[in-house]
Amino acid sequence: MRKVALITLLILTCWFASDWARAADLKIPHNAVAGESLTLATSGSGDATLILVGPGEVVKRSIRLGEDVQIKPEELRHAGRWIAIVRGGSGPQSQAFWVSPGKPDQLSFLARPSRVPVNRPGVISGVAFVFDKNRNLVPQPTPVEFSLSVGGSGAKQSVKSSNGIAWVKSSSARKAGAAQFVASAGDASVRRVVQQVASDPCNLRMKVEQKSKDHVVLVTDPIRDCTGNPVPDGTIVTFIETDKTGKSVVDARIKKGIARAEMPASENANVTIAAGVVLGNELHIGGGE
Amino acid sequence: MSSPSISMARQVPLLQRPVPLSWILLLALIVHGPLLLMQLPNGSYDANLHKFFASHYAQHWFNPWNTKQFTGFSQTTYPPMEQQWVALFSHVIGLNLAYMLVQFVAILLLPIGVYRYAKIWVNERAASYAALGSVLLGSLAFLVYNAGQLSTTWAAPLYLLALPYYYEWAREANWRSLLKGLVLLFAAASAHHVTLIFASFIFALPVLAMAIMDRHREPAHASLGGVISRSVIFAVLAIAGVFVVLMPFWMEILINPIKQMTIPHASRDNYILQPIWGMNYFIVPWGAIILSIPYIFIKGLKEARLRPLFLGFWVAMLFALGGTTPVPKWILGRAFDVLTFERFSLLAHVLALPIIGLMVCDLIDHYGRKAAFVTGALAALTFGFAVSWPVYFQNHDPDFNVSEVVSFLNRDGHDKFRYITLGFGSHKFDEVSTYTTASSVDGDYNSARLLPELTQYGSAQLTNSKYFGANGMESLRAVLRHADQYGLKWIFVHDTFYEPLLAFGGWRKTETYDRGSVTLWVKDGIPPAHPMPYQQSMKPTEIEGIMWGTLPFGSSLLALILALALPDKRRRGADTYEFPISESEPVLREAR
Amino acid sequence: MKFALPVIFGLLTVALLAVGAVHPSSTAPASSPEGAVQAMLANVQGHDWKDAYSYISPSSNVDLQDFVKDLNGRDGSLRTYSSLESFTTRPLHENDNQATVRTETKYSTAVGAFYDTRDLNVVKDNGQWKIVWAGEKTPTVPPQVIPVNYLRWDVIWRGAGDDWGSQNVENPHVRILSMNPVSQASGLSIMGEVENEDTVPAFVSVAATLVGKNGQDLGTESSFDRTSHVLLPKEISPYRIDFPGIKLTEVQSARMKPDSMLVPASADPVIGVMHQRIEKDAKGRSVLQGDLLNESGQIVNIPHVLATFYDNSGKVIWVSDGYVDHALLPQTPQGFAVSLSDDLAAKVHSYRVTVNQYSRDWQD
Repeated sequence: MRKVALITLLILTCWFASDWARAADLKIPHNAVAGESLTLATSGSGDATLILVGPGEVVKRSIRLGEDVQIKPEELRHAGRWIAIVRGGSGPQSQAFWVSPGKPDQLSFLARPSRVPVNRPGVISGVAFVFDKNRNLVPQPTPVEFSLSVGGSGAKQSVKSSNGIAWVKSSSARKAGAAQFVASAGDASVRRVVQQVASDPCNLRMKVEQKSKDHVVLVTDPIRDCTGNPVPDGTIVTFIETDKTGKSVVDARIKKGIARAEMPASENANVTIAAGVVLGNELHIGGGE
Repeated sequence: MSSPSISMARQVPLLQRPVPLSWILLLALIVHGPLLLMQLPNGSYDANLHKFFASHYAQHWFNPWNTKQFTGFSQTTYPPMEQQWVALFSHVIGLNLAYMLVQFVAILLLPIGVYRYAKIWVNERAASYAALGSVLLGSLAFLVYNAGQLSTTWAAPLYLLALPYYYEWAREANWRSLLKGLVLLFAAASAHHVTLIFASFIFALPVLAMAIMDRHREPAHASLGGVISRSVIFAVLAIAGVFVVLMPFWMEILINPIKQMTIPHASRDNYILQPIWGMNYFIVPWGAIILSIPYIFIKGLKEARLRPLFLGFWVAMLFALGGTTPVPKWILGRAFDVLTFERFSLLAHVLALPIIGLMVCDLIDHYGRKAAFVTGALAALTFGFAVSWPVYFQNHDPDFNVSEVVSFLNRDGHDKFRYITLGFGSHKFDEVSTYTTASSVDGDYNSARLLPELTQYGSAQLTNSKYFGANGMESLRAVLRHADQYGLKWIFVHDTFYEPLLAFGGWRKTETYDRGSVTLWVKDGIPPAHPMPYQQSMKPTEIEGIMWGTLPFGSSLLALILALALPDKRRRGADTYEFPISESEPVLREAR
Repeated sequence: MKFALPVIFGLLTVALLAVGAVHPSSTAPASSPEGAVQAMLANVQGHDWKDAYSYISPSSNVDLQDFVKDLNGRDGSLRTYSSLESFTTRPLHENDNQATVRTETKYSTAVGAFYDTRDLNVVKDNGQWKIVWAGEKTPTVPPQVIPVNYLRWDVIWRGAGDDWGSQNVENPHVRILSMNPVSQASGLSIMGEVENEDTVPAFVSVAATLVGKNGQDLGTESSFDRTSHVLLPKEISPYRIDFPGIKLTEVQSARMKPDSMLVPASADPVIGVMHQRIEKDAKGRSVLQGDLLNESGQIVNIPHVLATFYDNSGKVIWVSDGYVDHALLPQTPQGFAVSLSDDLAAKVHSYRVTVNQYSRDWQD
């Protein structure tokens, strides 16, 4: 009798355990992708609550056990580790699964610096981050194309991203201007502007433009750097006139490529010119150059 | 507190009777109530300073170290009692209304104090007229609605309430009087230290003289030695008590004696040579009292009893004249250049009111209702003119809105840096300080200044620098030069006069507020503000904080409790009667 | 007898009022040339222009309006932001009918104290000493059009809604060209030059922290107004940072902190510094003086002159500055003078003057 009771109890326990286990069975596909729909298969019977906990996102849904559950694309936006929890009548059960990022769709592009002198090697850097449409970093190697051009001419370079990041280093062009620095991957493209500016003036020269009883107007030749780019307007050019009455100085601004200054007229004066620490030619007023 | 009764003299004509104190208080309510409900004192000179202090007590009752001005200063440099009451009420009715309520209590206390003080010298009827006059004093209106001197308007009546108890104690050795007199004195000291110092001479010495003169007056039979010895006991206990109650204040003065350069103030000018200031500080606050000066001189000096009172008045009047006579300078020496003299008008008036009360009695006795009408009209005109004076004499800029300034400082972590205002005036600057969470290098209360850039020059607030001439501008330059050390990044400008200095000093104009009336100037590269090194040694200790939060406020609370728990016994025998005494029939009451 | 006391106190009060009010008349005839100058200046101090003008000799040929403008400033100059605070006078020579009085005046101005020295001629006119006021002659510039290629830089900053990867415009590159500590009786000064190397305008400030022998910070100070804060591309400005009360022997090193910020700026006005020379002034002190010429078409309200002095090795040995209390009118020279000590003047090999300016119109 004792044996019969023991066997009955054992059978009942196994039946209860198998029933309980069957009630919470969840089947999750291995290839879940962020931004795409997902179907979860459940087994068992009765009503239950499905809770999906993901990175920065929680989905709660009432389900019927034994039926498939459809998760919409907009509910599954973030890639990473998710946990599915089913709470039925017989207690909760959870299961972890991975959601991978979608196809490359967006780029974030960091270009440095915003302003750079022309003709300098390796001074421009560009770093692109590849994201899917839900801004999940795409770690799969993706080809990213970088192009740097000024006035139509420039260079292109294709780099494969590693762990979602692609970067490039470039030299500034010989030509001044607003360089268009573009990174593109698939349909995504981001543009930055790197201002390539002229370097220090080179071969600074001035001449007398106009001379009267009271004053003399000095004007420079078009001021360019050593690669021939015009020095930006607004740059200070200092005219210094020295005669027996003392020293006269005018800090003129380059406007439309040249600098002009009005100095006091003198019968015997030396005039020098400088921009920053760069010196130009010297004039002698009164006795010719 | 005794109040004149009307039951005994029901048969006496109305104008021959003392005015009941309850009527006088009702008049105070009628006159000042609407003005306070309109929050008229909000525009007064010092109101925002008191509210600024009060706002700190409201949040940090037991920590008097306030970091919102002077990069940090101790509020133990200024007696706190009335500000703590404002802080307490502000939790219920807000800061502005709390200020009005506390100011109103001071206004109510003044006629009671004047009445009790006047009764030492004059009869009940004259004392009641004196109390009535105190409601309509031009000097009171000036201090409440123009100067915003909450502290003086609190301390003076408390002092007036305390001295009659001293008078009783000195003559009658009444221990209850000693207790109540001392507690009221402590409360007065907790309200204002300057009034305490001057009232000790101007108010108390005449009372001492009267206590000696009246030592045999009913019901007292005191000897000269007894009066003097009891006066000494009172003085010793008063000094000891005031020392304990304001202990943190004295400690602060001991550690940081006021060594700063003198700051100019128009109340020290000669009012004859500077008529506009004579108008502001003498004609307006004195009003019709000027007409009574001949009577005060004649009556006050003719009658021996009134001479101590007159002398007190005379000295107070000379002080109220500021630099018009050389007397204050002779007496005060260097302290002359530290004090401001507008408050002395109220002290002089309080001393004159008993004599003026006698004058009104004489006039009414001779001319009846006509006299009552004329004196009443003159008092009302004096009061009205003093209240309206700021409308006709604007000595500060038109009002402007600082809410955007406060909003800027309180958002996005801007309060990590310090700020100053220029051209705001101390009134508006205090308003900004009250409502912002940011700290300023500038500050309003001069005696709390510790920064060398502020104390080494003879100027007051940085916001008013230009009014202090080269000293003011040099002080401002010195602060701006050390902007890095103070974390001074933001400067709000309401006066373009300051713009050249800021432009040359490295600040940039970035934003405008209040339709262009205020501009924000910013200096880049300034590190965030940090507590100044000197502050560790200057901060009041925790014990001092607890004392400051309990003793001054507690003394006013105790005075209130004693007034309720130990009411004065009515002693008609002590009243002063004029001769001949009018006989009145006994009043027959119905038996119920 | 019963009125004796009231009368005594009444008289005493009146006497005290009279003692306090004793004051010489503001237009009383002067008994000496120095008295006339003092009375005139006292009235100027009290802004009593009419009374001050009463001490001016009719032979001066200046009307009240011009006299007031001479003293109170015009064209938004520094003088219009100032008031006379104090003065001293000293007769230089005097005879029965004529005298010269030197006045040293201290003005309170919007940028601090401003000192001025002026020699006034005083003559006896109908028995009274009167001042011959040399009115300022404002040269009139003929009506003309000054073409200006208005050049300015505006900046579009990164907005709150921008992509996190979009870079902000970079702050300009500035470089400290030189740094030289100079010890004096009043303390230590660090001076030198700073250049905006970039192609955009920079808002520059230079600060320094002195490090003591034990590595502790001795103090931080900034150049404040002894530098030009807005530097256009390739512009060089001197700077001087004063550390009062610190000796060079206490200092191990200095940490320089140049800050630069990209700001919207205008390339105008252009101010020429003409005829610079070191000379002796009326007091016999060495001064660097010359003329400022505003080559633009708008008024410059407050010019600020910064002078850099170099020794024969090209090292900056001093930086001096001074405000000019007159506005710079277009195309009109305006004198300036910057003081330097005599021993320094002996060491000076060359110098360079730059002009910083505040103009109300440009400021807005």
